[in-house]
Amino acid sequence: MSHIHIPDGILPFYLWVPAYLITFFIIFLVIKRMDKEQVKRVLPFTGIAAALMLIAMSVPLVIVPVHLSLAVLTGILIGPKMAFLVVFVVSVILATFGHGGITIVGINTLVIGSEVLVGSTLFRFLGKKHLTTGVIISVVVAVLVSMTMTIGIIGGAVGFEEVLPHTPHSHDENNVGNHNQETHQEREHIDEVVEQVNYLVFSGWMAVILILVVGIALEAVISLLIVRFFSKVKPDLLDTIHGFVQS
Amino acid sequence: MHLAEIDHYALNGSSMIHKAQTASKAVLAVLLLSSIIISQDIYRLLGVVLVLLGLFLVARIPIWHIGHLALYPAFFSIFFAILTAQQSWVNGLVIMTKAVGAALTMLLLITTTPYVDLFALFSLFMPSLLVDIFLMTYRSFFILLDKISQLIRSIRIKGGYTPWQVIKNFRTISAMLGTLIIQSFEMSERMYRIYELRGYNGKIPIRKEPGNLTKIDFTMMALGLIVLIGVVLPWEI
Repeated sequence: MSHIHIPDGILPFYLWVPAYLITFFIIFLVIKRMDKEQVKRVLPFTGIAAALMLIAMSVPLVIVPVHLSLAVLTGILIGPKMAFLVVFVVSVILATFGHGGITIVGINTLVIGSEVLVGSTLFRFLGKKHLTTGVIISVVVAVLVSMTMTIGIIGGAVGFEEVLPHTPHSHDENNVGNHNQETHQEREHIDEVVEQVNYLVFSGWMAVILILVVGIALEAVISLLIVRFFSKVKPDLLDTIHGFVQS
Repeated sequence: MHLAEIDHYALNGSSMIHKAQTASKAVLAVLLLSSIIISQDIYRLLGVVLVLLGLFLVARIPIWHIGHLALYPAFFSIFFAILTAQQSWVNGLVIMTKAVGAALTMLLLITTTPYVDLFALFSLFMPSLLVDIFLMTYRSFFILLDKISQLIRSIRIKGGYTPWQVIKNFRTISAMLGTLIIQSFEMSERMYRIYELRGYNGKIPIRKEPGNLTKIDFTMMALGLIVLIGVVLPWEI
């Protein structure tokens, strides 16, 4: 859900170059520490998990203007290490047809990779005792973490006041300099843009928040239903990946 | 999803750009992409876009069929364009032209080069495991698409989809996705056994011996270099 769609040439190089370097470093560590035999076994399924993620991320949900990522689900099914590699591969393929710039691949891998890591780690601890609660908490917390990262990155590029909900005209009007006037104009512009967002009977920030809540809920529910289905039909997979047997 | 359409153009095209070496096309794409990222001047950026449109013409890729994919990033750049346009409308236009130009560059590369050739190029500098995941993903993508369309058809035929019954539909879709993953999992196990039988040792051999560079390869790389120099050098209209 937190896939960044910013095209090339917008984010400054000091954001995307380090992101690429960190991504390559993590990929190097992941590959170095992997058991070759285990890799050979899970590789074909990894391709399928990646293809599923690719399809989920290419198709916008009709009822809300966002798309699923199934990143946490991928982490649960194939483990966080392989899932991180999958996230990189999916981000590269999506970038080749304009779904986020090619320079954003590193940032997207780190953002969605964090979702994978947080989600699958939480599931490892929580899913053993209670599958439903484990999946829901894992997905919700993981998506919130990756969204915070997204807001941080976009905020770093265009200013935090532009991406966080705020009350217009709330700043001290006695202290208005040139810079504040510019910021004020920008805020008004953002508010105008946000006011145009409509969802059901809501508009503005309320609509934005509602879209995010519905999006996260859909990601959690779909992941939960698939994991439950999986735990009934193929419980040994979750056992192998996370080291526990579902009750 | 336009991967199948892109694949069709890349595999069935017979223009001289299609016949050029993958490496020279990748060099051209990197140089054009660098020009777009570096440039802040609207005229130079429009020049790069014109060069790209010319290349699409030479490659005989119907831009009206895939051009909308380049508008997708333009849509996402609107937010930043609006912010920048407060200083000057030209700056807003620069942001949007950059988005469209970068997308056109990548589209040119993937519509004139089969994915397998691109993966073979990746294998020169990427870990073999990553290249294998690329290949597996690409292969699985088309198999999954086919399976999904079959499942959707059977759900509709069996009355599994009921308009306005959201919860029932959710359950059906989740069961469908679950079935899909289970079937895919079994398919992946079969694939693993087939790979084992064929001597798979953790690396799929896709490295392609680079052919000799021809005139078109040198022309394409020179064009990329000229565009980059044109963007970097100070000049005025």
